[in-house]
Amino acid sequence: MSNDSIFKTFLVAFLLCVVCSILVCLAAIVRIDKEAYNKQLEIRKTVLFAGGYQQQIDDGGNIDELFTSNMELKLVDLATGEYTTAVDAATYDQKEAVDNPELSEKIPADLDVAGIGTRAKYAAIYLEKSGAVILPIRGAGMWGPMYGYIAIAADGTTVKGFTFYQHAETPGLGAEVDNPNWKKQWQDKQVYNSSGKLALKVVKKGKYNPNAADAVNTIDGIAGSTVTGSKVHGIIRYWFGENGYAPFLAKLKAERG
Amino acid sequence: MAKAKDALLDPLFNNNPIALQILGICSALAVTNKLSTALTMTIAVTLVTACSNAAISAIRNHIPNSIRIIVQMTIIATLVIIIDQMLKAYLYEMSKALSVYVGLIITNCIVMGRAEAYAMKNPVGLSFLGGVGNGIGYGIVLLAVGFVRELFGSGKLFGVTILNTVNDGGWYVTNGLMLLAPSAFFLIGFIIWGLRTWKPELQE
Repeated sequence: MSNDSIFKTFLVAFLLCVVCSILVCLAAIVRIDKEAYNKQLEIRKTVLFAGGYQQQIDDGGNIDELFTSNMELKLVDLATGEYTTAVDAATYDQKEAVDNPELSEKIPADLDVAGIGTRAKYAAIYLEKSGAVILPIRGAGMWGPMYGYIAIAADGTTVKGFTFYQHAETPGLGAEVDNPNWKKQWQDKQVYNSSGKLALKVVKKGKYNPNAADAVNTIDGIAGSTVTGSKVHGIIRYWFGENGYAPFLAKLKAERG
Repeated sequence: MAKAKDALLDPLFNNNPIALQILGICSALAVTNKLSTALTMTIAVTLVTACSNAAISAIRNHIPNSIRIIVQMTIIATLVIIIDQMLKAYLYEMSKALSVYVGLIITNCIVMGRAEAYAMKNPVGLSFLGGVGNGIGYGIVLLAVGFVRELFGSGKLFGVTILNTVNDGGWYVTNGLMLLAPSAFFLIGFIIWGLRTWKPELQE
């Protein structure tokens, strides 16, 4: 039979498609389970890092064990700052909720300092044993969205740890947000000043003065990544403002002191 | 035997896909800021080129001429998807670092170019070796570029600190250009220059 007959052409195309789709399906089946677990592991690791468990992880601690014994998942209604059970916490996906009009709300452009457009109504936060809370944050970076967690002590203002788990910043410049030395300086910074106003800020590299009165509210930027620094600043200003976690943290402070 | 050796070794220097055929430049710019990503990409491209060449060669006498490009693309795309899925399953961090570039192997001109120019006319074994050779030839350039970029851009090799950078409290001021894609253009240019000076018969 000629290779170029219509029948042969259809036959080859059909057989090829069948074989290829079977192979692709098999690969996808293997991937789907594993990937879901990998993603969960990544979140757990980030939450533990932010929550101050880095040492235990470096010492070879089991991430799943550390996580389940120290962290409790809670949903916070961002508008009221109260814990909520309006949706099931175990199945709630904050990233997906952002695209669901029933579970999210648009942010007016003038308030949207983090550049996120839409915000989920409920935040999936983690309550650590000591009473600290680990809060998801996100916003636009220089090249793409940035996702991370920031841990706040039970007093509702002291930063315990901070880390991004997803970003697309320039390697070596903006991507230094992953540098452990830079992340370390977030520890013990105060989000709010003594009169309760949002004060935490990221300044340009070199503008940080350790002796200034507001040094405890100031993060020194990263050399060569002014844009990333200002984006992180925007993310902090949004998420700790009135439209972010401020109501929740105020309640946390009032309850736990 | 000589033919097999040529198929495998020619693409390393004498007919290097990047330096001579000037194929696959885009991914060479994108994934070479670290050696680990460059190495993973090399392995992925070598696997895809070798397996797709072998598969296409195996059915080359049955491929209708009118749909041959589509047939080649389908086989290449299938292999790329499988590799992408396996990376996501077993090397999650790496798949994040490579992001879309694994998927873009489908459009890597080396793979398509070898399928059309070589696998359609040669037996399975030779096509497979040719694919491996081209993948490695691509990899040599990628790793050379990655070596320079990671060393001078981040002061590291495979993530291990070689030059202690200022950001980590050391002395080495990193070269920002090396971290950005355009530096790969310069480096590949130097490699092409060097190769053609070493082997003048390659000059056009």
